[in-house]
Amino acid sequence: MSISIPELLTNDGFITAGDRDAIEIHSNESGLSFIKIALTSGYISRKNYDRCILNAGYTLNEHPRDEAYDEEVLSKIDLNFAHDRLAMPLRIQNGKVVCLMASPDDTLFIDFIRFTYDMEPEIILASDLDITWLSNKLLGDKYTKSAVFELMKRDPDSSAVVTFSTAQLIVIFVIIAIVAIGLVLSFKNTSIIINVIISSFFLVAIIFKLFLALVGSRFELHQAVTKEELKLLNDDDLPIYTILLPVFREDKLIKKLIWNLQSIDYPRHKLDIKLLIEEEDDKTFNAVKNLDFPAVFEVIVVPYHMPKTKPKACNYGLHFARGKYLTIYDAEDIPDTDQLKKVVSLFGKLPKEYICVQSALNYFNRNENFLTRMFTLEYSYWFDYMLPGLDTLDIPIPLGGTSNHFKLHELVELGAWDPFNVTEDADLGVRVYAKGYKVAIINSTTYEEANNEPFNWIRQRSRWIKGYMQTYLVHMRHPVDFWKEIGWKGFLGFNFFIGATPIIFLVYPLLLIFFICYVVFDLSGIRTLFPDWVLFMSIFNLMVGNILMIYINMIAVFKRRYYELILFAVANPIYWLMHSISAYKGLYQLIVKPFYWEKTNHGLSKVNSPTNVVK
Amino acid sequence: MKLTGTLYLIILTFILIVYYLVCGIYLNNLGYYNHESLFYIEKSKIVFEGLGNRLKVMGLTAPIIPFYATFLFSVISQSLAPVLASAVGTAILFHVIATTIAKRLNDDGYVWLLLILFLFHPGIIYTAASGKGIYLILIFFFLFFLNLFKFYRSNTTFHVSIASLSLVILIFCDYRFIWLTLFFLPLVLSITIHSLNLGEQESIFRLFLSFNSPSLRRKLINKTFALYIILFSLPLAAVLCYKLLNLTHASDLNYFAESPYATWNVLVDKLSFEQLTTNTAYRIPETSILMSFRVVLFAPMILIAIYLFRESTYQVLTILTPFAFIEFLHIKYDKVFLAYQYYMIFLILAYLCVIFKAQVVKNQSVFKLLLLATVLIQLYTGWYFLRTSSIPEEQNFINVFFKDKKADTQRDNEEVANYLNSLPSDSQVLLDDAIAYSVIAFTHDIKPITMPYQGNYLSALETPDKFVDYVVVASTSNVVSGYTQLNDKYIGLIRHSISNVNFRKVFETNNWVVYRIITNKSGNTF
Repeated sequence: MSISIPELLTNDGFITAGDRDAIEIHSNESGLSFIKIALTSGYISRKNYDRCILNAGYTLNEHPRDEAYDEEVLSKIDLNFAHDRLAMPLRIQNGKVVCLMASPDDTLFIDFIRFTYDMEPEIILASDLDITWLSNKLLGDKYTKSAVFELMKRDPDSSAVVTFSTAQLIVIFVIIAIVAIGLVLSFKNTSIIINVIISSFFLVAIIFKLFLALVGSRFELHQAVTKEELKLLNDDDLPIYTILLPVFREDKLIKKLIWNLQSIDYPRHKLDIKLLIEEEDDKTFNAVKNLDFPAVFEVIVVPYHMPKTKPKACNYGLHFARGKYLTIYDAEDIPDTDQLKKVVSLFGKLPKEYICVQSALNYFNRNENFLTRMFTLEYSYWFDYMLPGLDTLDIPIPLGGTSNHFKLHELVELGAWDPFNVTEDADLGVRVYAKGYKVAIINSTTYEEANNEPFNWIRQRSRWIKGYMQTYLVHMRHPVDFWKEIGWKGFLGFNFFIGATPIIFLVYPLLLIFFICYVVFDLSGIRTLFPDWVLFMSIFNLMVGNILMIYINMIAVFKRRYYELILFAVANPIYWLMHSISAYKGLYQLIVKPFYWEKTNHGLSKVNSPTNVVK
Repeated sequence: MKLTGTLYLIILTFILIVYYLVCGIYLNNLGYYNHESLFYIEKSKIVFEGLGNRLKVMGLTAPIIPFYATFLFSVISQSLAPVLASAVGTAILFHVIATTIAKRLNDDGYVWLLLILFLFHPGIIYTAASGKGIYLILIFFFLFFLNLFKFYRSNTTFHVSIASLSLVILIFCDYRFIWLTLFFLPLVLSITIHSLNLGEQESIFRLFLSFNSPSLRRKLINKTFALYIILFSLPLAAVLCYKLLNLTHASDLNYFAESPYATWNVLVDKLSFEQLTTNTAYRIPETSILMSFRVVLFAPMILIAIYLFRESTYQVLTILTPFAFIEFLHIKYDKVFLAYQYYMIFLILAYLCVIFKAQVVKNQSVFKLLLLATVLIQLYTGWYFLRTSSIPEEQNFINVFFKDKKADTQRDNEEVANYLNSLPSDSQVLLDDAIAYSVIAFTHDIKPITMPYQGNYLSALETPDKFVDYVVVASTSNVVSGYTQLNDKYIGLIRHSISNVNFRKVFETNNWVVYRIITNKSGNTF
């Protein structure tokens, strides 16, 4: 065949001459093959491409996964090159190198085969997705190992591969022993002491949160990046931006995802979007394969390896990232369209030690049901007040699950995400501070889908709380060293923020039961455990604590102008009970299966998610 | 020298602290005391030295914030703690206002005017040197309105929530400020109408537009309701919780406001009522319609403030709200004279409004001269209002401070306290601090005194011979003798019910009689 694929596509009218020129320029600049750019940057759909080459007389191998391969042959090609060219050699047969290729006219790859194996290639045309699947499966082993064990090897103290250190176990058992002995020797006094400790802890935690919220709300009008600053950005000067999209069984969301990604205001050729699909996740894989419109992302298949967690997938994807900056979105995320540009502008302004920028998260389906309303209240308060408060006071910020933007080089230097930690984001946020770097907050929001189903919600929350426990245990292995690393403010903030959260949720139902028993049954026995002053303090905590937390939630949604949600803040005590259920589930899992990733199902919302176009 | 610099403001604040302390200690030496400060001194003594249910005293003494503020200074001197607190607190008030000037105007002229006010205004000196909690009312009243005005400009949740927190504290400085919320109900609607994004500027037409469009109406209702909640949910919930605490610890929701053991003004107000009903010369100026007029006379700067805000209806309404508030107080508490602090709030509010709007005045020199003239008038009216006050302790302040007259209002109480101090340390004394807190404030050691906060008080009341050696009883000439069980009737009652107990009068003043308990068994003669 003499006609090249670009020509073929142009002649068939699938791409314009202008598109072709743009792709070729992009290809020359990036080293990616023409077809890779055409298929992953939204120029042509896979179905149209298949149609085009079939019309031209080519035949497509529908089952390349069944093809035999030779390890010796495979060892001579790097996965990155296979990705870039969407091609890979399989075996030597009849004096030729049998190769899978998405585009048969990729001269660079053909030259590589000739030069490396000193033989002519025998080309088998296959779908780019199948080639990606196979290349990752066959060539991705060292990257998978690195994704799983890199942090553990480089910085074992920061890895959650060991849940409890020996010293921590000793401390925990000594505390349990002291409490048990105390209860046996003097039940009343020990109970009072425990009561006082818990009450004091609650009081300090509540006041600390109110203080943070007020500090955060002080900067309500502060624009980290203004519209004027955005206008000053020149598209040509923008760096390549990597977006990682780790997905698992999100087949229903793929179309939405593409729509959301296409709305991002960033030059197309400077986006490096990677959809990270697990090897066994055929559902998502087939959904991508069956798309009948152009995709705007590249697929990376993450080979099977335990633990099967999102951070492991992200670490794997990191090996192929080309950007200067990198961010993570979930499949259902709808970021503000100008978010990436804002981040570039902010990184340009900030001192060098700022290596991460966190955007606010909120929900598009907030009015769907009680749970989504409560979730929105919680997120509004968390991202609009608490995180800016932490930021202002220079206290480690537990990053949100998505929309955290990193400088790629520094992220790699830090050891990236911990695959054994189920809230890798919060852990990384703390690690960033511990290593002397900083996190900034930006005035841009990503809208997510709030969990609208109680059991799904509990699954998700139990993972988060378990992750907080893991993170706390990891960083408190050497408390004195940690304190020296992040300073007293950071240390206290970490304890009251990461450490206190699971404890409060674990203790909350117990105290509530005590209180209800005291009020309803008027149990005199309880009264002996609460002398007057302890009762005074406990009732103060119960009332003031609940009121203040409810109030903080109220002001957060007031800021967002979600006036209809304000009264729902009153239902927070019930919502916190759900947290407590999750906390107990999380604690159980921390002990029996610490690395198990409780999958949250997305796409359950019936609410349409309009793109959040920023005018 | 730039007065608005941080360092200079701090120096000025310290100078004011010293000035107020000198005034306060000077007054103290002349024997000036008032019910409120004596009440705080007595309750602090119970909290720090008492034996019994101190937690109840600590938690339910009202107003709670001024009471706690005196705690900090009790370490230095228990009897001077309220004066120290008010002196430092008033200087802090100056600092807060001066800092606001520095941020908004950065003009020394306004700081000088403020300084004149804080150095010479009799009301401010009364606030600083009396030991009363007025300084806290003024600080949080100022912060409440400051944040409200800031909210009008910025529309940020931060300012409205800080305003709400200030209101909470204000209410716990003086419970009557809860009624201020009542007059904010229509105001909030007005604020919301203003904040809607409408082309029409005139308030009444904005209201008309909002009511006639379903979507705008929904938005208006949602936002108004949300603003009510943000502004008032915290104060109302706080009051509700406080009432519940009162219920659980004192079996009375309104214990903090209605029990003479919890607050000082229950009896003072009753006295005020008695004075009113027995006074033949009815005081004309304190009739309802004239209250606002009196306020304008007291703080004419408020007229300038209203003039400056004339273009914004809801902001003028905001300034008028405290007028409605004091008119309401006068109607609701018609048996009580309006205390000086309710006039003082206008002094502070007027200055705040001036700070907020001074920038819009073109001719600053003339404006400052006008303000200076107003300040001078206010110095005179401040003095005049105190001198002619219907409340004795306010008049007394002027008499002691300006006429250098030795005060003798507490002489009686001091004499009894001195007698109790002279008793052997193992002597137990029964006393009811509902009316005798002034006596206890002057005693050196309260451990031998049995008071109602203690568990054995009732037993001691019924069988005094088994628990105490002395009983302090209100004499018939004591105007509040009807508000305690320990009055002259008590002696007769015990003599009648317990046959082998008798009382010997060992000390007597106009208001008090101290009896020693004697029994047959003790071998003493009747």
